[in-house]
Amino acid sequence: MTGPLFPQGGPNMGQPAPRYEGRAKVTGEARYPSDVRLPRTAHACLHLSRIGRGTIRGFDLTAARAVHGVIDILTHETVGDAIRQTPAIYQGGYTSDSLLPLGSAEIAHWGQPIAMVVAETYEAAREAAQRIVVTTAPHPSPAVDINAPGAETRALEPMMVQAGDFDAAYAAGPIRIDARYTTPAQHQNPMELFATQCVWEGDRLTVHEPSQYVNSVKFGLAEQLGVPADNIRVISTHVGGAFGAKGFLTQRTALVAIAARRLGRPVKLVATREQGFTVSGYRAETRQHVQLAATRDGRLTALRHEGWELTSRADTVAMGGASMTTRLYACPNILGRVNTVAADRSTPGFMRAPGEVPYGFALETALDELADRLGMDPVELRRVNDTQTEPVGGLPYTSRSLMRCFDVAAATFGWSGRSPRPGSMREGDWLIGWGCASAYYPAQAGNSAARVRLTADGTAHVASAGHELGQGMTTMMAQVAAEELGVPLERVTVSLGDSDLPPAVVNGGSAGTASVASAIMIACDAIRARLGVPRDAPYAALRAAVAASGLAFVEELGEARAHGRSPESLPDMYRGRALPLGGVELPDRVQFAMGAQFVELRIHRWTREIRVRRAVGAFAAGRIINPRTSHSQLLGGMIWGIGSALHEHTDIDQRNAAYTNANLADYLVPVHADISEIQAILVSEEDRLVNQAGVKGVGEIGVVGVAAAISNAVFHATGRRLRDLPIKLEHLL
Amino acid sequence: MNDQIRLVLNGAPRTLPPHQSPTTTLLDWLRAEGLTGAKEGCAEGDCGACTVVLEGADGARTPVNACLCVLGQLHGRAIRTVEGLGPQHTVPRALAEADATQCGFCTPGIVMSAWAHTREGGDPHEALAGNLCRCTGYRPILDAMARMQDDGAAPPAPMVPDSAKFGGFHLPASLDEALALRAVRPEALVLMGGTDLGLRFSEHREHPAQVLCLLNVAEMRGVEVRPTGLRIGAAASYAEWLRACRADAAWAPLVPYLARLGSRQIRGLGTVAGNLGTASPIGDALPVLLALGAVVEVAQLRGVRHIPVGEFLTGYRRNALVPEELIVAIHLPRPPEGAFLAAEKLSRRHDQDISAVSLAALITFEDGVVREARLAFGGMDATARRCAPAEAALRGRPLDDGALAGAGQALDFAPMADWRGSAEFRMEAARGLLRRLALRHAGLPAEIFA
Repeated sequence: MTGPLFPQGGPNMGQPAPRYEGRAKVTGEARYPSDVRLPRTAHACLHLSRIGRGTIRGFDLTAARAVHGVIDILTHETVGDAIRQTPAIYQGGYTSDSLLPLGSAEIAHWGQPIAMVVAETYEAAREAAQRIVVTTAPHPSPAVDINAPGAETRALEPMMVQAGDFDAAYAAGPIRIDARYTTPAQHQNPMELFATQCVWEGDRLTVHEPSQYVNSVKFGLAEQLGVPADNIRVISTHVGGAFGAKGFLTQRTALVAIAARRLGRPVKLVATREQGFTVSGYRAETRQHVQLAATRDGRLTALRHEGWELTSRADTVAMGGASMTTRLYACPNILGRVNTVAADRSTPGFMRAPGEVPYGFALETALDELADRLGMDPVELRRVNDTQTEPVGGLPYTSRSLMRCFDVAAATFGWSGRSPRPGSMREGDWLIGWGCASAYYPAQAGNSAARVRLTADGTAHVASAGHELGQGMTTMMAQVAAEELGVPLERVTVSLGDSDLPPAVVNGGSAGTASVASAIMIACDAIRARLGVPRDAPYAALRAAVAASGLAFVEELGEARAHGRSPESLPDMYRGRALPLGGVELPDRVQFAMGAQFVELRIHRWTREIRVRRAVGAFAAGRIINPRTSHSQLLGGMIWGIGSALHEHTDIDQRNAAYTNANLADYLVPVHADISEIQAILVSEEDRLVNQAGVKGVGEIGVVGVAAAISNAVFHATGRRLRDLPIKLEHLL
Repeated sequence: MNDQIRLVLNGAPRTLPPHQSPTTTLLDWLRAEGLTGAKEGCAEGDCGACTVVLEGADGARTPVNACLCVLGQLHGRAIRTVEGLGPQHTVPRALAEADATQCGFCTPGIVMSAWAHTREGGDPHEALAGNLCRCTGYRPILDAMARMQDDGAAPPAPMVPDSAKFGGFHLPASLDEALALRAVRPEALVLMGGTDLGLRFSEHREHPAQVLCLLNVAEMRGVEVRPTGLRIGAAASYAEWLRACRADAAWAPLVPYLARLGSRQIRGLGTVAGNLGTASPIGDALPVLLALGAVVEVAQLRGVRHIPVGEFLTGYRRNALVPEELIVAIHLPRPPEGAFLAAEKLSRRHDQDISAVSLAALITFEDGVVREARLAFGGMDATARRCAPAEAALRGRPLDDGALAGAGQALDFAPMADWRGSAEFRMEAARGLLRRLALRHAGLPAEIFA
């Protein structure tokens, strides 16, 4: 593919500034938490349960203790009450699940941490962890997945969405679609492993851990350990990918913290790739049921979307994507429902576009089925049902550019050249399939703070406890401060990823940029107000004003309160409770970024090999502060979508709910050669309402809709409608 | 006899202390030395975040997974890490300028794969198949690679591989020495590239008392191109085999297939002999060896045996070696003039994935019809094997779609079902791969991304 390496800015887009920390990353100088070297470090290794649900009868630690260099072994028998039970985030707390670390002899699921060895070397810790002998009483028939007989289904009434009379309208519908879909369990698998290093100096604890939310770790750990939060500092300067896996406090951190306290020396844990599959949350498998009714010209008259999501026995967790899929298209009669199915598994969590990926797959595939039934172009079906008013509550979208995205992407893709009949496009022995789908993601923001300092020498420093996950947070922070103050970008420095800095929203829900940029803008406004310098003043005037003030520097704290949050919510931000809000959760309006995904794939007539030949996505997400890093996010998201459709699937052992492919050889993620041509287009959109920064966020929308576009393309190539992900070669026999 | 590991790290000779464990992985050692650019992402050779480069005295650059190499294996080798390129180097700069990094965790490994690629050339997709990136979508990385050039850096001075012994870790330099060691230590773990057995040290924390590493045995090194065929030394890597195939048109049909065997990093370490030695049932090389009628040369102090590869493999993880014997080389007969050679692989993920089904075919002709067909399948049975009924179905017929469809009906497999494919799918896929041979034979493109 030719063309520029990255897009230049269009209307309402900033400069494509190069990545702030790019040089540190390509030279290997960037220090991730596991790279931090502390003197006298002892090394920890977890021992995870090798049974499903059950009870520990006893440990034999003789062989483990005999390994040279072993210092300490933590089990539920040895930690006592060192760690307190605290609520999970789903109950307003901080932890990613409700299981107390090494809390009792009860084993809730396969892969639960049940012991941790600390030794002089990592090798010794790992060897000893393997030599721990555990006697257990396994439950005879644990419920292993969403279809297990022993799993417990519960309807979540608060997640019900209703408008008009679905049943009557569906019964009367001239054209009807009734289809069931499934999506698999998937794991984020960021390249960086789950690492934690803890060091105590007196009663002060420093934690080095890759995180999307250092304050969740700080305040949660304070509760768990009964330590004042002021005594805890969490540092997470570089994060090697997260995708939701590093959002909240997991069980491991308290274990490492108490081990370091017991030993009086730093302790380092790096969970193995396999262990990582149960150390944090994951995308739970779902079942879904979609019913659509439409007039013969394609207008939706009834839409029902019901989902069943796997959860753990300990926590009722649901991503609840039906709350969004019921609000995307004009339709008078709507029913949305969400159910959880509790099984003997670890607690699921967030994975990039957590509700949108599975529910979007089902709805957008169902729409393609409807288009086929109507003999209508699937793009036109979306146009007929496009709306600027959310259909359930009648609320306005702050802005919505879905069809502009479709038109731009369709033109780039060459959609008009499509021959609609399935199986009608071929090249030699390859069947060609073209498919499309909508992408959407709620525009969210959370309370955040940032401190900006303007120094007499004309440099600026911006600081906030946001996170550099690779999405470009650092670059964005520097750019916003530079633009707001008029300081040259190269004279701006950034600090982030440290709980000692002004707090920011959890860097999830694509809310990081919108939230932190708004806080920086407020701080910069305050600096200019204090100096009496107008917005468009030249840099020289700004410097002169600082000099004239007689101060070495001028510094202001900006606190941004998200739309929909009460003034009383601001102090919560200082207690690690800054969560994103937006999408369909607001009383007065709805906020979404929108996009369109187009895919061409080829399927071999004889071997059924599926190759994605090209993918084109167009996305409108309000102001784009940095088109270069945003473009990179969207491209990466689209590849995630391809992986989600064709490869990614956590395989569950039907005896004990073990994950049988918990490694990167068998859990397949896309590799370089899986991708031929991929194009992400940024569509200009201005939204002055959505938040102070006018930003909707692009971290997740790139993934949404790709799986449906692929399944729709498979239908176009073969006439086979596949409703279960991932799509495998044998599904096409 | 050396008793300390000597290697060259980023251009500087290093002699490791006598107590240094030879089974410590290169990755753990580098990171303990403070060179934390190489990252641990899987510790199993799957992700490439720990990629470093072995620098050959001939200028060759072989990317390898530092998590799979143990220090004892690296005696006499030169290693370069991301820190050894320096901050101003054009390769990392090109990646930074193309915004080819997001979270950056995989980036040092990609830098090193790219640095090797600027010297070695070839398909950039293939160069990067062993480097997973979960953020960027790869496109900017490929764009950056298109703009890189070889820095022309001089290779390290050659080091003569000498005999060495680090405790129970033996590194003989000659066949006589190796066979003598084997005769007295039949229980020793024989280590080649370590892509399989290396995990027994690093992951499973095994401490074999005796390890016999044969990488420096002169008679086992290299791939020799002979008029009669290839002699693949037991210590020769898949990368060396692939290089020999690229250099000789007779072997060209194997090139795309071998290029999908593991990743560049795995091919840089792994050996055909190692796969035969462990008798792994899933090795992609086996169908090729069976179709070509390869012969395994094995030796012990009392003499040499030549064993056809079909007889060498005796079952799941079992082979015909007696305890004192070692594999010396694999002889791959050159395909007869006018013969048709093909190798096909089907996997869920195109690259760096274990085959669901594979097929190697060697077909000779007489008067335009098939004289003899040798069809060897992988993934269809407990071990790779030929299929006599399908071969018979082709005999005497022109190699066209009809004949190959008929051969597909004659397959006598009852394949297993696992998550890489159901039994039904494997049968269909094997038939599909047979029919694809017609395209290959006619010189038509059989894959869209060749």
